[in-house]
Amino acid sequence: MLNVNGHQYELKASVGTTLAEALRDELRLTGTKVACAEGHCGACTVLVDGVPTLSCITLAHTVEGAKVTTIEGLREHPMVDAFVRSDALQCGFCTPGQIVSAVALVESTPSPSDEQIRHAMAGNICRCGAYPRIEEAIRTWQG
Amino acid sequence: MELKRPSSLAEVGDGLALAGGTEVVPLLRSGILSADTLVDVRGVVPAGIDGTTIGAAATLAELEVDPQIPGALREACRLAASPQLRNMGTLAGNLLQSTRCWYWRLKWPCRLHGGDECFAIEGEHREHAIFANDFCASAHPSDVAAALLALDATVTTTSRTFGIGELYRLSTDDDRNTTTLEDGELILSVDVPPCDASVYLKAMDRKRWSFPIVGVAAVRRGSETRVALAGVAPVPWLYDGSEPTPLPGNAYKVEILDALVRRARAAL
Amino acid sequence: MARLIRTEKEVEGRYEEVWIVVEEDALDQWPAGPLKIVGRDALRVDGYERARGEAVYTADLELPGMLHTAVLRSPHAHARVRSIDLSKALAAPGVHAAIGPRDIPQLVDECGYQGVAVAAVCADSYGHARAALALIDFDWEVREPLLDPDEAVARKSTIADARVRERGDADKGLAEADVVVEGEFRTQVVLHNSMETHQAVVQWVGDGIDVYISTQYIWGIRDEVAEGLGLPGDKVRVVCNYMGGGFGSKNGADDYTFIAAELAKRTGRPVKCALTRREENVAVGNRNATIQRLKVGAKSDGTLTALVGEYVNAVGWSGWNAPTDGPLHTLYACANVRSTLHGAKINTPPMKAFRAPGFVEGTFGLESLIDELAAKLDLDPLELRRINHADHDASDDRPFSSKNLLECYRRAEPHWERRHEVRTRSTETVKRGVGMASQIWYGGGGPPSYAWVRVGSDGRATVVTAMQDIGTGTKTAMAMIAAEELGIPLDHVTVSLGDSSRGPYAAISAGSSTTPSMGPAVRAAAADARRQIEEIAEQRGTPDAPLAEVVAMLEDAQILGKGARGPNPTGMQVLTFGVQVAEVAVDIETGEIWVERIAAVHDVGRVINPLGARSQIEGGIIQGIGHTLSEERLHDPRSGTILTTTLDAYRLPTIADVPEIHSELVDEPDTHLTNLGSKGLGEPPIVPTAAAIANAIRDATGADVRQLPISRAEMLRALKEARERSGAKATV
Repeated sequence: MLNVNGHQYELKASVGTTLAEALRDELRLTGTKVACAEGHCGACTVLVDGVPTLSCITLAHTVEGAKVTTIEGLREHPMVDAFVRSDALQCGFCTPGQIVSAVALVESTPSPSDEQIRHAMAGNICRCGAYPRIEEAIRTWQG
Repeated sequence: MELKRPSSLAEVGDGLALAGGTEVVPLLRSGILSADTLVDVRGVVPAGIDGTTIGAAATLAELEVDPQIPGALREACRLAASPQLRNMGTLAGNLLQSTRCWYWRLKWPCRLHGGDECFAIEGEHREHAIFANDFCASAHPSDVAAALLALDATVTTTSRTFGIGELYRLSTDDDRNTTTLEDGELILSVDVPPCDASVYLKAMDRKRWSFPIVGVAAVRRGSETRVALAGVAPVPWLYDGSEPTPLPGNAYKVEILDALVRRARAAL
Repeated sequence: MARLIRTEKEVEGRYEEVWIVVEEDALDQWPAGPLKIVGRDALRVDGYERARGEAVYTADLELPGMLHTAVLRSPHAHARVRSIDLSKALAAPGVHAAIGPRDIPQLVDECGYQGVAVAAVCADSYGHARAALALIDFDWEVREPLLDPDEAVARKSTIADARVRERGDADKGLAEADVVVEGEFRTQVVLHNSMETHQAVVQWVGDGIDVYISTQYIWGIRDEVAEGLGLPGDKVRVVCNYMGGGFGSKNGADDYTFIAAELAKRTGRPVKCALTRREENVAVGNRNATIQRLKVGAKSDGTLTALVGEYVNAVGWSGWNAPTDGPLHTLYACANVRSTLHGAKINTPPMKAFRAPGFVEGTFGLESLIDELAAKLDLDPLELRRINHADHDASDDRPFSSKNLLECYRRAEPHWERRHEVRTRSTETVKRGVGMASQIWYGGGGPPSYAWVRVGSDGRATVVTAMQDIGTGTKTAMAMIAAEELGIPLDHVTVSLGDSSRGPYAAISAGSSTTPSMGPAVRAAAADARRQIEEIAEQRGTPDAPLAEVVAMLEDAQILGKGARGPNPTGMQVLTFGVQVAEVAVDIETGEIWVERIAAVHDVGRVINPLGARSQIEGGIIQGIGHTLSEERLHDPRSGTILTTTLDAYRLPTIADVPEIHSELVDEPDTHLTNLGSKGLGEPPIVPTAAAIANAIRDATGADVRQLPISRAEMLRALKEARERSGAKATV
């Protein structure tokens, strides 16, 4: 069973299926994006027991019993507002992953310094280069 | 493929060990590794820190903020990989990671893959080894291993305890392995003896999320200083002042190495 | 009224003379400066759906019964497929169809680069398709690759004949110079690496075809697919509601669209063909490498007497000869300019347009050498640029439609002045300095482009046009323009785009052209609707009544406005301008470089959305920093196969690599250009970044970097050369 955003789903896929594949292809939760599929870019970031995790290189069966949170579970999080307000996205393809990482950061450090933001967000690549605005969104989010 | 999730060491049995999965899963998917059985060992390998002993399943993210461990190790963890990879990746997994050599990662039939040529030596080797690079010029990418080697750490596995330097070996014509682990042997913990001062300096291509061009760990105990290097040899390299043997395209690494060693020593 | 005119059409520096039908642009421009909506910050109208992961990209599309494709691509840089046998793949589990060389023109057996498509399999899952690929039996004849661009030019392996351009007499100009500086500059291959890889989903419906695709040019795809499949254009429906980045690489249908179309035809199912990241790094184009051998001559007062460049574009197996020589001809007023531009055809993947192709590379070389000249003449680099300012386009003796580069320089002064203070923060090992570079590029857009505006009795308007928003915020800009013209709040405007069957023709989102091409059409359509509403108000006897009150009586009736993009000004050169000032720190022992601050001032005419514009500038600069410091596609020097196909090896900038960025726009409408006076901003910000950084490095260290990326190796090499030079001077 997969616990995703508080719902239990039966995991039908075979061993070797990644969490990203299970989320997108089986559960049709396509807010989680896959951009590199080898753990290099962060687009697929989800929370596993609250910890930012690369779903594209996590085998789905290894997180049975854990709590998985995807962007679909964070749609009402104030970080979404902060991103839109700061224009912290352009094409938007990396954005769900950025927001998931940002949420985990502020859940543990509500007012992170610029240095903490840069350290915590360095695994989420944005090819459009929305980084200054992402930094602003996290600096100015209101929980 | 099947996945076993044992809850005791006795249940581990045969199969490919998997913990954070940051190295094993991509290598499985790109066909460099294959397995019928995967064994998720997170339930059986210790995590956490107990005095000077670090559980092999501790994640890099845990270590990078832990005040109990020496600065060089903390810094090596902090500057390794990306935040998500540090969240997922374990200490033992980091020590056992493979080279970033592009020829190896792209499955060229190189010496490390059992072939008879190192393609990097005649090819593109700017990020490759400047020591011990005549058989295979791959560079070992572990920042953490360099720090532990400088710290003179001890590794305990399911069958033995030994100095971390003995975990690694240079591949040779008749044995292409780069570690000395036997089949089924799991790293359980790493013991890091205390030191008076330690530092890790890293040169990389981006400010974060890059493997080391040159990583320098230096540790002082009394008047004794021990320096170990990442990214400059096929294995984590204990620096004894011997002359590097760079390839035509990576001599720049020597200059960086000299500067960082000088600075690391000065910082102690 | 529609009018037939002969005009010059420009996309990314490529011109052609065409006959086109244009509509008069009868509207006067709005007054300069911020209006009620236009010229003021607006949030992205599609921000929430993208941020929440609700937006359905092509990558997220799953049609009922959809099959997935894996493509076999040549693993060799130069090879021929002697034989290929698809039968085992066809028999593999889950496989529905397999196609090979010559089944369609996009699958080949003569392979000129690694990554060219040879065969394709579709199956009920991507995993099955990929597994089946491994079962294809083939026999390769591997050939020697040609990889060296200079050698290719010498052997006459070129994409086109060398292009020689000369004005005045460059040799005479060099002879008259008091000082001549010269240098050889090299730039690397850079990959677009859009976050969403290239992909399409294709479905045959009746006698037509639906193509869902991540694209920068809906109408171009429509025409290309129609021509390729022998269909009438209106039988091809192209859909792209959201797309995950393009940067110039998604202007065409490419192999994957035709592969999916053929497999969909054979199976009677919808078929997706999505590239993996590794395919993305070999098979969808790149910014080509260049070699630039430049000479600049000047009088001792700084007046340029000659600019001479020999350029080799390492184009790859196909592509076009980007205008690397462009800045040499247009940036400065110099009477004597000569360039030769070669396009080497070699066995590397094809070039494609990448954000200001040619000008990014050419500006690095030219603007670096201009600063070397300033150093040699002991002149202030900003002053040298002012002395040689071009007040008209000397390359073909035309006036600019507008040019505010001197105003950009003026606004850059406070940033340039910081250099004295910045240098004082140098230490024994970390040297700091400031550098600048100018920007010149296209960005005027052009006709045709059309939009419709629909106003209902609820006082809300919908802009309908089959354009695409590739992430630049053009959807928001169009909503702002319509709201401004109609005099209604921004949130009363919806923009319907992304579907060729649901709106009129819209321009390509390349060449910084979406806003300057589409914006005037949207404004014209909104003005047409407003005119009709005013006529109703007039008849009703309340000519001054607000729009909402007038349309309230419409019930189900609607006001439909239509608008078209008018012509560009005749006889004028429409360009964009700017300047960037970079501050860097260099560790002279380790070669580490920190870009600490970049100030950018650009002139792109009227700014529609300052917030979105700042994001564009920042994004361009950050891509420029990647280009300057960390990104490089490497190939094996013997075989020509690509080594950096993954994002650990191909290093895009992360958030930790980003400097403080100050951005500013002159925001002066181009009074000759359309009813808006707006030019495009997608490309200009990346143009000067590399040169500004290189010049800051010279200011900090005295080292002349000559190569991108400025890797540790290149930085240490340049530092060593500078030490030797000053050592040699000292001993003289």
